[in-house]
Amino acid sequence: MFERFTKDARAVVEGAVLHSERTGADTVAEEHMLLALLDREGSRGSFALAALGLADRRDSVEHDLAEARRRGGLSRADAEALSGLGIDLSEIVSRVEEAHGEGALEPGSGAGAKSGDGRRMRRRPFAPEAKGVLVQSLRMAHARRDRHIGDEHLLMALTARGGVATEVLADHGVTYESVTRVLYGDGGAAEAG
Amino acid sequence: MTEATDLAERAGDRDPRIGLRAVSALRRLLEQLEAVQVRSARNQGWSWQEIAAELGVSRQAVHKKYGRQ
Repeated sequence: MFERFTKDARAVVEGAVLHSERTGADTVAEEHMLLALLDREGSRGSFALAALGLADRRDSVEHDLAEARRRGGLSRADAEALSGLGIDLSEIVSRVEEAHGEGALEPGSGAGAKSGDGRRMRRRPFAPEAKGVLVQSLRMAHARRDRHIGDEHLLMALTARGGVATEVLADHGVTYESVTRVLYGDGGAAEAG
Repeated sequence: MTEATDLAERAGDRDPRIGLRAVSALRRLLEQLEAVQVRSARNQGWSWQEIAAELGVSRQAVHKKYGRQ
């Protein structure tokens, strides 16, 4: 599926794998794609992120991603939904950390499936959500009649998924609407999805 | 408006989205909690058989998921 990806889009996918390895995660997740996007320079995606003021706010993005990891990879919207059931996520996190140490709920903290001492993974798999980003970037390029899939399409897909990365981007003013406005000069005329 | 506040406002409307989101969140939380507890039990010397019995699953299932430790 990568034959139509631009050099920048491929660099984001490869960068995401490196970020996943660096952090010792079990899979390549959306957050690793977001970090890889922030690494790019001189691309359409990095132009959009810079225009929306994200270039200087990498620390803030990383901080918010770390917070979400500590909550077991759950977003604030997830926490709100759980509180609707009477479940206090922050209470669960603090009790688990009390018993099992700080960061115990973090995905890939060594607690995850098949990630014990013998960490010998053949190939780091993409998490289903991250695969979804790749698929959605194809759809978005198609909807825009763009012939190639660039890193800006990966960014657009990330803003439209609804997970942690989407939420962190939105908290920094990067939404599907703001990205398409900067890139195409509209408010998201072609629907996200 | 953030998605979180958006969802919170919909909670009062019995929007299925909020309930489904909660189920999905709970499932992901459950996976992390299970991993923490299984690792803790292994560190305390529990066998896969004992862990499986507490979780109500087969020994093979729990070993396949968390084995190679």
